[in-house]
Amino acid sequence: MSLSVRPILSALMRNRTGAVLVAMQVAIALAVLVNALYIVVQRIEKMQRPLGIDVDNIFVVQASGFTDRYDQTSSMREDIDYLRSLPGVVAASPSNGIPLSGSGSATTLTAHPGVHSTDGFNYYEVDEQGLDALGVRLVAGRNFRHGDIEPSRAKNDASSFVSNVILSRATALRLFGQDDPLGKAVYDDLGQSATVVGIVDPVIGAWVGDRHPDWVMFMSRLPSGRYGAVRYLVRTRPGARDAAMQQAESHLSRSNPDRVITFVRTLNYFRDLSYLGDRSMGIYLLTVTLLMVAVTCLGIFALATFNVTTRTRQIGTRRAVGARRADIVQYFLVENGLITTAGVVGGCALALATGYWLSIQYELPRLNLYFLVGGVLLLWGIGQLAALQPARRAATVPPSVATRNV
Amino acid sequence: MQASLLGYYSHLALRSFRRNPGLTALMVLAIAFGVAVCIMTLTVYHAMSGNPIWWKNDRLYTVTMDSWDPNSGFTRGNAETHLPPPLMTYRDATTVLHAGLAERTVVMFESSGVISGTGGPPLRTDTRFTTGDFFPMFDVPFLYGSGWSRSADDPPQPVVVLSRSMNERLFAGANSVGRTLRWNDHEFRVVGVLDYWFPRPLFYDVTEGSFAPPEDLFIPFAWGRALDLRSAGNVDCWKAEPLDTSEQFFNSECVWLQTWVELPDRASRERMQAFLDNYWAEQRRGGRFGRPRDNRLTNVGQWLRDQQVVDNDNRVLVGLAFAFLLVCLINTVGLLLAKFLSAAAITGVRRALGASRRQVFMQHLTEVALIAGTGSALGLGLGALGLAAVHHMYAAAHLGRPGGYQELMHFDRTGVLWAIALAILATLAAGLYPAWRVGRLPPAVYLKSQ
Amino acid sequence: MLKMQDVSKVYRTDLIETYALREFSLEVSAGEFVAITGPSGSGKTTFLNVAGLLENFETGSYRIDGTDVRGLSDDQRSRLRNERIGFIFQSFNLIPDLNIYDNVDVPLRYRRLSTRERHERIGSALDLVGLSSRMKHMPSQLSGGQQQRVAIARAIAGDPAFLLADEPTGNLDSLMARQVMELLEQINELGTTILLVTHDPELARRAQRNVHLVDGQISDFRTYEPRAAPDAGLAHA
Ligand SMILES: Nc1ncnc2c1ncn2[C@@H]1O[C@H](COP(=O)(O)OP(=O)(O)O)[C@@H](O)[C@H]1O
Ligand SMILES: [Mg+2]
Repeated sequence: MSLSVRPILSALMRNRTGAVLVAMQVAIALAVLVNALYIVVQRIEKMQRPLGIDVDNIFVVQASGFTDRYDQTSSMREDIDYLRSLPGVVAASPSNGIPLSGSGSATTLTAHPGVHSTDGFNYYEVDEQGLDALGVRLVAGRNFRHGDIEPSRAKNDASSFVSNVILSRATALRLFGQDDPLGKAVYDDLGQSATVVGIVDPVIGAWVGDRHPDWVMFMSRLPSGRYGAVRYLVRTRPGARDAAMQQAESHLSRSNPDRVITFVRTLNYFRDLSYLGDRSMGIYLLTVTLLMVAVTCLGIFALATFNVTTRTRQIGTRRAVGARRADIVQYFLVENGLITTAGVVGGCALALATGYWLSIQYELPRLNLYFLVGGVLLLWGIGQLAALQPARRAATVPPSVATRNV
Repeated sequence: MQASLLGYYSHLALRSFRRNPGLTALMVLAIAFGVAVCIMTLTVYHAMSGNPIWWKNDRLYTVTMDSWDPNSGFTRGNAETHLPPPLMTYRDATTVLHAGLAERTVVMFESSGVISGTGGPPLRTDTRFTTGDFFPMFDVPFLYGSGWSRSADDPPQPVVVLSRSMNERLFAGANSVGRTLRWNDHEFRVVGVLDYWFPRPLFYDVTEGSFAPPEDLFIPFAWGRALDLRSAGNVDCWKAEPLDTSEQFFNSECVWLQTWVELPDRASRERMQAFLDNYWAEQRRGGRFGRPRDNRLTNVGQWLRDQQVVDNDNRVLVGLAFAFLLVCLINTVGLLLAKFLSAAAITGVRRALGASRRQVFMQHLTEVALIAGTGSALGLGLGALGLAAVHHMYAAAHLGRPGGYQELMHFDRTGVLWAIALAILATLAAGLYPAWRVGRLPPAVYLKSQ
Repeated sequence: MLKMQDVSKVYRTDLIETYALREFSLEVSAGEFVAITGPSGSGKTTFLNVAGLLENFETGSYRIDGTDVRGLSDDQRSRLRNERIGFIFQSFNLIPDLNIYDNVDVPLRYRRLSTRERHERIGSALDLVGLSSRMKHMPSQLSGGQQQRVAIARAIAGDPAFLLADEPTGNLDSLMARQVMELLEQINELGTTILLVTHDPELARRAQRNVHLVDGQISDFRTYEPRAAPDAGLAHA
């Protein structure tokens, strides 16, 4: 290399304010970029977690009875029969809750009676089409049969358990470890037991942000609707959902004057709602980070441009004493490289400190160092790109400016 | 500074902008984006973390008692909170209510039911079952009528208060006081209609998400028992006990009620604390309260912190916004410095012709102020746009509940103050140093440097 | 060694064409000391720029050491400037951010030289101009004459065959000017060909040969004996 770094560095040190300012920008941008990307990647991972549910083809109906004439059992029967008769519907089941919705019911559950536990498991009361209505995959045992399904709990029964349950694999692992859970009993906090007849995997419950969103249990019983509403989960063939929704809404809202249809919504609606925070966080982080990198680039570009304009005569002199165009380009790129390197070094420290703070905020593992390396390379590359145009322009300065007074 | 000089400096500044329009635009934009991002983030943060009833911070307390499982502390999302449960059992809450020790006492829960009998189609809606002190305690504004008196609390009178948007929906916004509606097929008489009221966050019930609007219907608390209702909010139970009958449920260890008291002075606070502790000791002798004594009166500010109403994302975003503003400001300082120093020779001539250091400083500061002022104004506009987008996104999240969003759309006053303070700060921060640097150079240096 | 034949150089602006050099021919052989005089705007700087490969020309031919410079690429021209030609400018053109040592080092950096060789060359060049004690000083800490001597050191450090100087004494007082002139003569005696543009007839007279330019053409030239006595008749043609 015809240019060594020392004289460039010493020239730089004599005009360091601008360089220091740009290096500071690079440092902050690196710290933010690396950590923002780290968070975004984790959010994306969270959002891309396998749900095990055929989300795109499911819609949910909520119905609330509100008069004394309302008979939930017959109303539910009629509604479900109607929903199943709709064209394109694959399966429909009543349910006490809606997966991915952010609200639902949970209960404690143990593998032995009388054992104390605080683990909460999200449960769904469904009939024999419950698994199909969600499209979850049975990986062991059997589905509920029509004869398994118990009637809704009576108004004055808040605590009886069921005979048969289907667990998510995560639930089974939590309760039984590596043992085969099929045929085993699970106990509620009153010591009542139910038999595990099947295992599904994967599946997700109501709370996507929970530490264990896949601790899920299905119970072979019609929901009680005791909090005023029952839900129907309806799954259709691909493409048939929207038409079925419309038909369901217009029919059900008129079929029974003693209850009201609160909503008919796609499951996508609930999923999007659950991930809204993550999605908007991701979008916001990326936008601001991009803006910040852009501003930093402009800073680098402006400093390089400024340096080129104020050094026209110097460039001409260098050309006059034999510098090739490539040497001039190289000079400015090396100078820029020195500034970005200084910024990047400071930025690494800043990024690690920020990562540490974030790991406390989010109780997350520390910043992955690959991100840091990637960020360093990226900013360094971007910095060189930003300086390239001014450097090229510098190379077009004719050598004769050395002799002409400008 | 003389007015004429100010005019002259502005003129010089404009000339200087024309000399480098690109650079000038860059600086203005950098400041604008920095300010905009900050305003957006801070406004959202403020909305999510502010104390919406700060003026009652030394009067308003929520009551919590650690009635939880003797073997383990209260948990949320399978993680221990190290606090008493945020809700109370029916037994404990009504004890506080009937003691009547506080100036005002609110015990309440949220349920939902179907409204009919107003001519329109039946409508399911979120309803708060609360004692009548709710309205004066939380300084709730009324458009028509008022809340109900304590005598309507017990035995419960069939009265109801509507939100403004619900009144618009059911009665087309007319004064509906005296009209009736059916809630789950029971008749209630409207006694009051609220004006817009949207405390953010919804401090009195933080389980609903901090951007949720208040309920649309308010009904006396005791109807809950009379109609054998259950909360639609959180009901947390730890004890293995049958919950089948209404009797069993209301006497259970399940926590599900929010309890608030208004205690105007220290003495009343101490009285209330003593009462709770006595009650606790008495109940403990009877076999309840197996955990260490933890009876709390928590004011709103502390409550919002305890319940972690500001989620971590928000705190991170505030950090990000300031980092971004900092980068923008550093960027601007760098550009200004470059610009000023590249014109140092001209400045040198001015100095040689007799301009004082102060005058040179002021001349450059004027230029800076114009740039930063324009940038900040633009930032205010951009920030407002960005906020509209954020609100749009969150409004979509609460489609289930009608109304209320006109309020959220208001660019809140504190937010604007913040923004202006920020803009001024940005101006000073970005401009002072370069202007000072240029003013400080001895005149000879400018001339020699060319 | 350096041979221009009918070289023309035109500056075209929007409206006018200025012939800075008009069918200009000149031959300079190795070891000569040529002074170029002429009124302001007569094309002296243009001639030096063309001779030093800083600028191109329109017509004619120009050979350095027998090589036609017309066909050379920009890089090749840079290399020729770097290895064969040294420049001295009226306004010194030292790089203000570099100290004396680094300034002299500039042309050497564009060559493949070992650190030691560069160091030696810088040392001997600065020795020659009598400034080795000022190596660590910045240009702004030197007087004009000293700065020009640094510029001379920079020009000769690369051991060029030609030294092109454009009014090197124009910014200096007469004492300093004489010192610089003596230095140039000393360098010429060591074998370097020198082309010196100057206003000063007294300095011009000290050259071996005097070329007088008017309107881009040579109007008159005369050969002086080295260190000849002043000849009053030549001052202004
Ligand atoms: N870049 C240029 N553009 C147009 N005209 C030029 C340019 N440079 C020099 N000239 C013109 O060429 C002529 C010769 O200039 P120059 O060689 O600098 O004269 P000298 O050095 O003898 O004073 C002058 O008339 C000058 O105006
Ligand atoms: Mg000239």
